[in-house]
Amino acid sequence: MKRLLTALAATTCLTAPALADNDDRIVVGFATAETGFMQAYDKPAQDAAMIRISEINAAGGLLGKQIEVVNADTKTDRAEGAKAGLTVIDAGADMVVVSCDYDFGSPAALTAESAGLPSFFLCAESIKAGIQGVGPNSFSASVLAAVQGATMAEWSYNKKEARTFYRLLDTWTEYNKGICDGFDWMLPKLADATLVGEDTFLNEDASIAAQITRIKALPEEPDAIMLCTMMPGAVSAIKQIRAAGINSMILNGSGVDGSYWLSAVPDLSNFFVPVQGSIYGDDPNPEVTAFNAKYKEVTGGDPSTQYVYPGYVMIDVWAKAVERAGTTETAAVVAELEKMTAEPTLFGPRTFTSEIHHQNQARYLIVETNAGKPGVVDEWTISEAIPVADLLK
Amino acid sequence: MSHPVSHGSVARRSIATPVLLGLLLVAFALVALAAGSKPFNQTIIDIFLKVIFVVGLWVFVGNSGVISFGHIAFAGLGGYVAAWTTIKPMMKGLSMPGLPDWLMQTEIPYWASAGLAAGWAALWALIFGSVLMRLSGIAASIATFAMLAMVNSIYSNWDSVTAATSSVVGIPIIRSIWPYLIAALIAVFAAWAYGISRHGLALRAARDEPTAAAASGVDIPRARLIAFVISGAIMGMGGALYAHSIGIVTPDTFYLGLTFITLSMLVVGGMGSLSGAVLGVLILSTLIQTLRWLEAGVEIGTTTFALPGGVQEIGLGVVMILILMFRPAGIMGNRDLSLPARAASETKGLQSPKT
Repeated sequence: MKRLLTALAATTCLTAPALADNDDRIVVGFATAETGFMQAYDKPAQDAAMIRISEINAAGGLLGKQIEVVNADTKTDRAEGAKAGLTVIDAGADMVVVSCDYDFGSPAALTAESAGLPSFFLCAESIKAGIQGVGPNSFSASVLAAVQGATMAEWSYNKKEARTFYRLLDTWTEYNKGICDGFDWMLPKLADATLVGEDTFLNEDASIAAQITRIKALPEEPDAIMLCTMMPGAVSAIKQIRAAGINSMILNGSGVDGSYWLSAVPDLSNFFVPVQGSIYGDDPNPEVTAFNAKYKEVTGGDPSTQYVYPGYVMIDVWAKAVERAGTTETAAVVAELEKMTAEPTLFGPRTFTSEIHHQNQARYLIVETNAGKPGVVDEWTISEAIPVADLLK
Repeated sequence: MSHPVSHGSVARRSIATPVLLGLLLVAFALVALAAGSKPFNQTIIDIFLKVIFVVGLWVFVGNSGVISFGHIAFAGLGGYVAAWTTIKPMMKGLSMPGLPDWLMQTEIPYWASAGLAAGWAALWALIFGSVLMRLSGIAASIATFAMLAMVNSIYSNWDSVTAATSSVVGIPIIRSIWPYLIAALIAVFAAWAYGISRHGLALRAARDEPTAAAASGVDIPRARLIAFVISGAIMGMGGALYAHSIGIVTPDTFYLGLTFITLSMLVVGGMGSLSGAVLGVLILSTLIQTLRWLEAGVEIGTTTFALPGGVQEIGLGVVMILILMFRPAGIMGNRDLSLPARAASETKGLQSPKT
C-alpha cells in the first residue's frame, strides 16, 4: 500500500508540469522577493497587483477564465531569482512578474525572455528594465526615474518661477543618477534657467557639510535644489540642508515619497516630490482614494509610498492587452501592449511602443510638504517625451 | 609521511578519492536529468558552481592552512572576463564603452571564456600572491580580505570598463547541466592532482610543521604561491560559469555573501580534505534545498505544511553550529573518501599527521 502511494505521488509530481501547460488556465507568476530586503519593495506592489487580479476575477475573469497566481521567492538573491523565474514558468505562468529593482529582477526576467514569455518589473525605473536590458518581451510597470527629474525641473520653472538651480547627486544607485539625467536633459530647454552649481555625495555619507558649504558660498541662494537621492541617506541630507539655513525649494524623485520619515525633519517646508498617485487621501481622482481604502482592507495598512501603485497598473494594462488580443500568447499580447498610447489607468495614462516598454513621459502629481504636512498641490506632464537615445547615454 | 613514497604510488593509492567524488557529482547530475524540472536543474547547476568555488578555495586553504577571505575576488575577475568576451559587441558598447577596441569586437563561446577567465584570474593570483604569500597566519587572511575589498572597489567604480555597480547583461545563458558538471570534475581532479604533487605535499608539510619544512628545504612562500595561483584559476573558471548560469554579473555578486557561504561550506565539510570540500557543498546545498521546499510548502494529505519564510537561513545556521559542535574539524575531518578495503591502511599518506 505504501509503495502504491509513493508511486502515485511520484506520477502526480511528474504529470504536474504537463498539466501546467494546459491552455485552459491563465496564470500570473510572481518571481519576487518574499524574504530579504527587496521584500519591502516587492510586497506592497504585489499586494496591489493581487487587488487588481481579484477585481478582474470578481468581474468574471479574463477571457472568461479566472486568473491564477503562482509564487516563487527570489530571497533577494540573483541566482535564486533565476531559479524563481524557472519555477513559475514550470508552473505554467503566462506572464512573469519580477522584482522591483532592475538588478534583482533581471535574472528572472531573463529566464522569462528565453522561455518566450512576457515579463513585468514591478516598479523598476531604469531604462534597462525592458527591451534595452532584458529583451523585446519585457516591460516595467513604473515610470522612468529621468521623467521624475525632468518633471520637477519643468514644473518648478513654470509654476514656481525657479530660474537658478543647484544639482546635488547621490551617486549610490542608478535610480539617483537617472533622476539627475532627466533634470540635465530638461534644464537646457528652459529659457534663462541656469545651473549655478553641482555636487555629488554618497548615500552613506554621515555629513555633507562640504557640499553645503559650497551652496552657502554662492552669491545668492539658488531658487531650487535638485536633490537626486533616495532612502535612507535622503533624510540626513535634507536635514543638513535645512539645518544650515538653506531655504531653497528642494526638488526630489519619487523615492522620498511617504510620511514615515518626516518626523526626522520637523516642520519641513518648501519640499516637492512627484508621485504617480497620492497616499495622503487627497488624490484628484476619487478612485485612487477608494483604492487606498481597499488596500488598507486587504493588507491592514495604508500604502506607505506611491510604489504600491505600479503593481496595480501592471495587471491592469496586461489584462487589457490579453483581452484585446483574445489570447495570452506572447507575441499577440506584446503587440497589443505596444499599441497602447496614453491608455488611461487609475494612476495616469500609460504608453508602450516597440522602442520603449517604459514611460518616458507621464503625468505626475506634485506633492508639497508644508510645515511637515504633505499634500497634493498640482500635477504636471513634461512637455515632450525624453528620447530613448538620451535615456541610453 | 614518515617513509619515502614514490609519486606514482601516491597517485594509485589516492585515485579512489576523486573518482568517488566524481561519481557522486555525476549522480547529482543524473538526478537532475531524471527529475526533468527546470528549476531543479538550475539548483543542481548552482551546486556544481559551489563545488567549483569550494574546491578552488580548498586548494589553497586546505593545503596551506591559511584561511583566505579573498578568493571570491578571483571568481569576480572571471565573471567579468565572461562579460567582456561573450556579450554581443553592440550591447557591450552600450554598457561598457571604455573597453579596448579588440576586446569590444571579441565574441567567443562560453567554454573559451571560462578558460580565459581561469588564465586571467591565475595571472592576478600570481601578482597578488607574490606579495601576500610572504605573510602567514591571520596577517595573510586579513591581507586576502583586503584584496577582495580592493577588487570589489575597483570593479564597482570603473564605470567605462565594468559598468560600475550596474548589472552587466547579455551574457549568453547556458542552461545545460553538462558544462558545469565537467568543470566541477576538472576542479576536483585538478585539486587532487595538485594535492598529491610534490608542491602540494610540501605545502601540507609546511602547514603542519613550518619550521621542520623550511629546514627540509621547502620554500614556503613559493609553495603557497603555487597553490594560490592554481586555486585562483579554478575560482576564475567558476566565476565565468556563474556568469553564464544567470546571464548577469555585478560586483556585489562576488563579495561577502558568496565569500561566507563558500567558506562555511568548506569549514562544515572539513578543511583538511578534498572530500570535505565537496561533501560540505553537497550536504549544505541539499539541506538548503530541503528547507526551501519546506518553506514553499509540502502537501501532506489535504493540508499544506509550510515553514515560515526565513527559516531556511536560521535552520542552516543551527545545523552548521551542531555539526561544528560535534565535529569541530568538519564532517570529514582530515579524512578522504576512499574504497572501504583500502581506507584503513592506505590513505594515511594523504592525511594530516594531526589525526
